[in-house]
Amino acid sequence: MEEYHSGDESWHPLILRLPLQCIEGIIGGMDYNQNKVNQWTASIVEHSLTTLVKQGKHFKYIVNCAIMQKSGAGLHTASSCYWDITTDGSCTVRWENRTMYCVVSVFAVAVSL
Amino acid sequence: MLELKCLFSCYLFACSIIRAPLICLALRPSSISTVSYIDEPGQHDDNQRHAVQMENTYQLGPVKRFPAMAVNNILKDVLTSYLQEEKYEAELCRQMTKTISEVIKARVKDLMIPRYKIIVLISIGQLSEQNMRFGSRCLWDAGSDTFSSYTFKNSSLFAVANVYAVYYE
Repeated sequence: MEEYHSGDESWHPLILRLPLQCIEGIIGGMDYNQNKVNQWTASIVEHSLTTLVKQGKHFKYIVNCAIMQKSGAGLHTASSCYWDITTDGSCTVRWENRTMYCVVSVFAVAVSL
Repeated sequence: MLELKCLFSCYLFACSIIRAPLICLALRPSSISTVSYIDEPGQHDDNQRHAVQMENTYQLGPVKRFPAMAVNNILKDVLTSYLQEEKYEAELCRQMTKTISEVIKARVKDLMIPRYKIIVLISIGQLSEQNMRFGSRCLWDAGSDTFSSYTFKNSSLFAVANVYAVYYE
């Protein structure tokens, strides 16, 4: 049986690509629409979560998504985590188009088996 | 369990350059995306260290559950005391997000809930004509894991604080 060490770098690129594809598929090419944004955040988050789960790794996931209309306002985000650095990690994806910003953060916490 | 100070802050502004991207792709003429990968401080020297093998605890669930209400009060407390009088300014808020996330993490750690991993996520933004939506979904054990969230607003800024607590079996 293959031994999997979560401290490996190899799982990071995998996690990096997934939310990006989800965002592009759901809101790529669209303009900010207040009526639909609720549905968009829900779809992006659910889609990212299901694709992450399909990787079959032993992690609990937390996916956070923020969609903001472009109006010149600023936004700052910070996170602080108390966990085991050999097994857990996080990643943030920032996406923008002409009318909106989308920031997706993924946190992966190992499950011991 | 080792502690990780994992801080990042991302600042979005209509005209400024997005800082420190590792990969930058232009997927279509109208959309730009960057992926920021957090470089964890311990990772380089600990590359050779394998994950520690733990012995079986024979515990079926958490002995002491995570007090979401108490954490809610902590969030309310911290956000109000730090941001009540503040006006939105880029530099100030950049520092403030990092400071507040550290303060909240320290106060939640002081509650001494055993075997829980803690994730604190703070967003501070400027109040203007824009609309915005935050969404979050978690894949975890609903019986033991939980979260707490608080939103603060004053005349020039808003702040959203999320604390996620994940039980380590």
